[in-house]
Amino acid sequence: MSQSLEAYLILAALLFGIGTFGFLAKRNAIAMLMSIELMLNAVNLAIITFGAFTPELAAQASTIALFVIAVAAGEATVGLAIVIAIYRNRRTPLVDEYASMKE
Amino acid sequence: MNLFFGAEEGGELFVPPNPAGELESWLVLLVLLLPLAGFLLTGLLGRRLSRPWVISVSAIAVTTLIATWLAFQQLSGAYGEHGIKHIYGTWIGVGDLSVEFGFMLDNLAALMLIVVTWIGAAVHVYSIGYMAHDPGKWRFFAYLNLFMFSMLMLVLASSYLVVFGAWELVGLSSYLLIGFWYTKRAPALASKKAFLVNRVADHGFLVGIIALFLITGTMDFFESFVAWNVAEVDPLIRNAVAVLLFVGAAGKSAQFPFHVWLPDAMEGPTPVSALIHAATMVNAGVYFIARTTPIFASAPEALLAVAVIGTFTAVLAATIALTQKDIKRVLAYSTLSQLGYMFMALGVGAWLAAIFHLMAHGFTKGLLFLGSGSVIHAVHEEQDMTRMGGLWRKIPWTHATFLIGALSLAGIPLFAGFFSKDLLLDETFVLGWWPVFVVGILVAALTGFYMFRLMGLTFYGKSRVDPEVESKIHESPPSMVGPLVLLAIPTAFLGLLIGTGLFVNDSGKVAFDPGGPVLGISPIKKWLEPVFHPGEVILGITFPEYEFFGLNGGLLVLSVAMAALGIGAAIWFFGVFNTRARLETVDSLTQRNRVSRFFYTASLNKWYFDDLNHLIFYRFGGVIANGVMWFDVRIIDGVVNGVGVITQRVGDDVRHIQTGRVQNYALGIAIGLVVIAALFILMAR
Amino acid sequence: MELPETVPYLDWRWDDLVFLAMAGVMLGSALLVVLGRDIIRSALWLILSFAALAGFYGLLGSPFLAISQVLVYIGAIAVLILFAVMITSSKRGPAKLVFQRQWWAGGIAAILLVGLLITTVMLTDWPHNGTVYVADVQKIARTLFEDYLFAFEALGVLLLAAVIGGLYLAKRDDEMPETNNPRGAMRDEDQRS
Repeated sequence: MSQSLEAYLILAALLFGIGTFGFLAKRNAIAMLMSIELMLNAVNLAIITFGAFTPELAAQASTIALFVIAVAAGEATVGLAIVIAIYRNRRTPLVDEYASMKE
Repeated sequence: MNLFFGAEEGGELFVPPNPAGELESWLVLLVLLLPLAGFLLTGLLGRRLSRPWVISVSAIAVTTLIATWLAFQQLSGAYGEHGIKHIYGTWIGVGDLSVEFGFMLDNLAALMLIVVTWIGAAVHVYSIGYMAHDPGKWRFFAYLNLFMFSMLMLVLASSYLVVFGAWELVGLSSYLLIGFWYTKRAPALASKKAFLVNRVADHGFLVGIIALFLITGTMDFFESFVAWNVAEVDPLIRNAVAVLLFVGAAGKSAQFPFHVWLPDAMEGPTPVSALIHAATMVNAGVYFIARTTPIFASAPEALLAVAVIGTFTAVLAATIALTQKDIKRVLAYSTLSQLGYMFMALGVGAWLAAIFHLMAHGFTKGLLFLGSGSVIHAVHEEQDMTRMGGLWRKIPWTHATFLIGALSLAGIPLFAGFFSKDLLLDETFVLGWWPVFVVGILVAALTGFYMFRLMGLTFYGKSRVDPEVESKIHESPPSMVGPLVLLAIPTAFLGLLIGTGLFVNDSGKVAFDPGGPVLGISPIKKWLEPVFHPGEVILGITFPEYEFFGLNGGLLVLSVAMAALGIGAAIWFFGVFNTRARLETVDSLTQRNRVSRFFYTASLNKWYFDDLNHLIFYRFGGVIANGVMWFDVRIIDGVVNGVGVITQRVGDDVRHIQTGRVQNYALGIAIGLVVIAALFILMAR
Repeated sequence: MELPETVPYLDWRWDDLVFLAMAGVMLGSALLVVLGRDIIRSALWLILSFAALAGFYGLLGSPFLAISQVLVYIGAIAVLILFAVMITSSKRGPAKLVFQRQWWAGGIAAILLVGLLITTVMLTDWPHNGTVYVADVQKIARTLFEDYLFAFEALGVLLLAAVIGGLYLAKRDDEMPETNNPRGAMRDEDQRS
């Protein structure tokens, strides 16, 4: 199993699904961000998997994964900063309440 | 049916008119444009002038003089037997259709010119006095000029479409003039009725013209005759086209079933009734059929229809005239009846008689209407004859001219009406239509009766005038009496002038020569023969020699006798000069039994035709109209409004998707992603 | 001590065992992240799942990336998340407070998505040899610093921007009181910035 491409990919898909569910179902903004991180990780896993099974692409896959990690870090920074700023304003981290753009 | 008679006769059946000289074309243009200019000027400036009639009357005066000169030139043969023609330019030139604007002045048109311009001039002068107290008189004179322009254009036009345009314009002038006092309800309704009835008839007219164009390929009168003659068309189609054209003429000339507008048109001022609804506009239909005799001649069944309708109208109208109380209504129904005579004559092929009667009747009826206007003016706007009486001493000039008119209309020798009516009935019999002849002399009796009933009630006997008004009865001013006298002259002498051989010399030219035969030849026969000859040849009719001491004389005596009978009966019932009227006898006769009561009431109610029309078009048509309206409002508008409403509702409902919450939007994205990806997979398989 | 060739009793390869174990850990902790009521617990489970992932990277022959994962994700991002959780302190509460009203819709969407992905994976013919290759770190370095140098530098700028942005956004104004009172005044100097 550890040598089968499909297994790793399925794993990545499952992780991605878990992340999606979390993103859609949780009320706390930070929990949503955590789910996003899960999704990004799942994608990373898939990329590395492809790189591992295709020697010509291994270096590039690693590079891509590295970039993803770095960008995820940046995104987490800014996202959390925003959540904190909103929290200061509205005293709640619950995204349900951030509905002022409603029609 | 290939009817080319030309070769057999050793000459062309249809001889084209000569091209007009430069002077003539300018003069005709002047004749047309002077009234138009009068209309425009009076319309624009008249309100501010103290005497608005100056412009219009002078325009008409000049027009009359020019027209008379042109007519004399034509009738004396200076332009040739078949007239002159000139095209000013092309009005419509599209593809195959080329409608030219031009005039054609032949003997027929020349005679019409005289009638139209002289009666028009008389009416214009009369109106100076009649409308003197009306604040809107500037409008009146403007409209009169407009009417003159349209009528002259109708008479002189050389193509069907121009005639149709003039036709509609004349109808418009009639509408404007009938509804002159538009602030009152009755005139407004009457003018609308006249216009609508005319419009219905004009549809038939237009379809007929279009069909004619399709068959002959031209809109010009003369060319269409030639083409129609040689066209290979089914007789059914020939009849259909002729009938359609007749429908239009019937509308304009108020024949059954289009007669309903004419009596109501009496709501207009009396000069209008005289000019338009007695002497000129209603004659347009007769003139048109006379103009297009070659078309009708090849459609004998259509001519039969014309004769039947004409006869029926003559009888119908005469019976209604017997019981009417309004003096103008009696004259209106009399006009209807006489027009019926003319159509009767046209239908049997006696076209010459029809035109002769048109002229005589035009002058006579014009005189009678103007006279009635004078009477009405004298008794201060009272039109009910039961409230008149004994006027003959108080308004002598009016009475005298009126009497001349009445005698002429009844057909007493030697007035104009006698010659024309006698010729008409004579030819009807001679051409073989003896049932029509019988009806015709019956109508002649009725005519005599109702005319002298009118005379008796209005002028003779005891005065039933309202005492307050009685003291103020006076003769009309000269501006009104003048035209009366003027019109009385042709009424008295026209017949002698052009209906007898007194003015025809041996060589056949028109000149005073009492030595020759008096009856059987006449200037009018000489003038109109070239016009009607092609039609007579196509129809295949010939007129036998006139025998004064034979058949024709007998018929003449018979018609005069019937007229005298009617007059005598009327005089017995209604009195003359100073004799007493037997009005009680009249009442007891009419109320004696159910039958007589029925006839009296029916006649008084115009045989209920107006009610019939009301039922059909107003009630029944109203139901249909309401149904259509329901459909329009509910379904068509419903669909259009429904689209708007649906859009709004959908928008309102869809709006709730925008919750403002990110997660809901993300859910939407996720679902969309799933769907699209699934589709991709399915399609890739 | 020598490791036996295959796992005793089960006769698996060692790699497979490690694989399964780590898969279980990763998925389990990911689930706990998502299903947990207490957000601090969720953050901690998140750390665990990151760690499991690092293991996976190792299994896939990229030790370099495994180390990077640990350093960046666990060392930086998870810590950051913990800090943020602390700042926006919210209570552990009942499910009503933690989960959306329509969580089941998300669940369905997620399941469908996973199904779709798995279907795609299984149905595709992946061209591969079936063995894992170990990555050459030197080659990674070369790719990063030679072929994608520009992207690398841009990434640096991006991170700089993220730092500055995060700093600015989360900065607390000293005078701002800890209430929602809109009349809580901002001093003129602060307003001007």
